[in-house]
Amino acid sequence: MKTPKPPEAGASKESTRRRFLLTTGTTTVVAGVVGFLGATARFLFPNVLYEPPSRFPVGGPDDFPTGSPTFLPNQRLFVFNSDAGFYSISSICTHLGCNVNHVASGGFACPCHGSQFDANGQVIHGPAPRPLAWFGLSLSSRGELVVDQRRIVEPDYRFKV
Amino acid sequence: MTARAYVRQTLETGWRTVFRVGWPRTDKDRSAAMISSFFLHVHSAKVKPNSLRAAYTFGLGLISFYMLLVLTVTGVALMLYYTPSPDAAYRSMKDLQFVVTFGPVLRNMHRWAAHAMVVAVFLHMCRVFFTGGYKLPRQFNWVVGVGLLIMTLGLSFTGYLLPWDQLAFWAITVGSNIAGYAPGVGESAKYLLLGGTVIGSGALLRFYVLHCVILPVAVVTLVAVHFFRVRKDGLSAPPGRAPATTAEAAKGGFPPSARSYGLMALADRPAQPVVESDPDEEVMAWPHLLYRELLLLLAVVVALHVVALLFNAPLEELANPTRTPNPAKAPWYFLGLQELVHYSAFIGGVLVPGLIVLALVLVPYLDPSPRGVGVWFSPERRRANWIFGVFAVVTIVLTLIGTLFRGPNWAWVWPWTG
Ligand code: HEM
Ligand code: FES
Repeated sequence: MKTPKPPEAGASKESTRRRFLLTTGTTTVVAGVVGFLGATARFLFPNVLYEPPSRFPVGGPDDFPTGSPTFLPNQRLFVFNSDAGFYSISSICTHLGCNVNHVASGGFACPCHGSQFDANGQVIHGPAPRPLAWFGLSLSSRGELVVDQRRIVEPDYRFKV
Repeated sequence: MTARAYVRQTLETGWRTVFRVGWPRTDKDRSAAMISSFFLHVHSAKVKPNSLRAAYTFGLGLISFYMLLVLTVTGVALMLYYTPSPDAAYRSMKDLQFVVTFGPVLRNMHRWAAHAMVVAVFLHMCRVFFTGGYKLPRQFNWVVGVGLLIMTLGLSFTGYLLPWDQLAFWAITVGSNIAGYAPGVGESAKYLLLGGTVIGSGALLRFYVLHCVILPVAVVTLVAVHFFRVRKDGLSAPPGRAPATTAEAAKGGFPPSARSYGLMALADRPAQPVVESDPDEEVMAWPHLLYRELLLLLAVVVALHVVALLFNAPLEELANPTRTPNPAKAPWYFLGLQELVHYSAFIGGVLVPGLIVLALVLVPYLDPSPRGVGVWFSPERRRANWIFGVFAVVTIVLTLIGTLFRGPNWAWVWPWTG
């Protein structure tokens, strides 16, 4: 005589299947949601920026008088022509991005929260956490000075033409 | 049936398909009207008279909501004349100010209501705190409120860039650079917000979409949740009629709805009352609550019109990325933070606001005692009131300093010295 299957066995088989489906289903949904969120986050970061170039000519060496700095408002930087050579300092305050002004004493002052920098752009006073950026220079084939904002240089940098 | 009677009957039945109970003339009909209307059923049929007292809520939550309404209506109108691109945005503003019929009034109303909403939401939060409105069972609604506060500021901040004038450009320059200070994620967060590295067309478009779509939808959703919870929990009220904090609710069970009766409340009282307070002590929401709400709405709309007709919203010259105004200030409600940013961008821009938000979210959980609800400055909550009072006063003082007492180079000035 055949003994009928105990009901528990059937139930447990069913519950394993149920567990399996539930786990697979939940995992798929969670993975889908995570993937969707990841894709959305990635989507929000643009791949191409239509922004001004970071490397650009600023004019011939003769355009920059010796001694006093030349402020180029559109590029937001200063170009200096010293006896030792040319150098360029950013006018973007490292605190929160206002334009610093060159002051008579030779340093820079920021109008926004009062940061002060010395002639080399080093912080003397105020909330700015870093010195002003120095940009590398080069000469184009046309004989123009070229500023490269991606190339950050040390304050002893001088560019001889 | 005569033609006239036919028309009359059709109109009447037609009317009934829209308003099921017609114009209600009895309390019973008014209850039915409140319950069967989508818009009215955010109210319960009856309310505690003490929660109606003007000096209890000062109507501040309602005022915040009305500001949101006005901002939605005027904002949609402004959208019809606004183009979100750096070349066109400023011109749109000039058009709105000088060419579009009623343009100036709409723009002024939108601007002043935005400022007023920030003030109203802040004061509403203070009201809720000082009356213990965040206590059991309303803890989570306080957290929803904190979300609303943040979104209100976010709406105001994103709107600030849209005119594309000097004020807009530099306030957002300063504001978005603050994001860059967040440890680890700061630079990416800024890149994400601006859609690039500079404030240009990408940033303007993102701010526009945030301001006109994403944040409004989020705020409306949260307001709906907020109101639903107020409806379910009932408004906290001055003592004598304060909602019972039952043992069940204290244990974390589902708090009994204080409003779980409708028409039944008007029939004979059941042997076992489902509410803790005697329904007979309560008054009909129509007219007592409804008329007060309408009156307040009228007052808000009239006041905004008067202000909008008398004062023009500022519009400076076209945004000029090469010339920083001195001083360059963030929107006024962030000037308390900018005052701290003047000492350290990380502390003022990331640490302090982060801690404030965290502390606000945790308020109901740090102060779990259910006592002292429904009274302003209850002596049972002296310590909590002192802590929050100091926070509120420091916030206000720092904001005033940043707004009125800071001049060129963020140096101290006296406002009356011009
Ligand atoms: C867009 C912003 C907001 C709107 C439109 C809004 C609206 C309202 C309204 C209409 C009420 C009914 C009572 C009253 O008028 O005072 C209320 C109650 C309440 N609100 Fe808000 N609110 C907002 C923001 C906040 C904020 C920032 C908080 C706190 C951080 C908050 C916490 C609460 C709590 C806990 C209650 C219940 C208070 C009680 O029962 O006494 N809300 N809100
Ligand atoms: S941006 Fe220069 S001091 Fe803040």
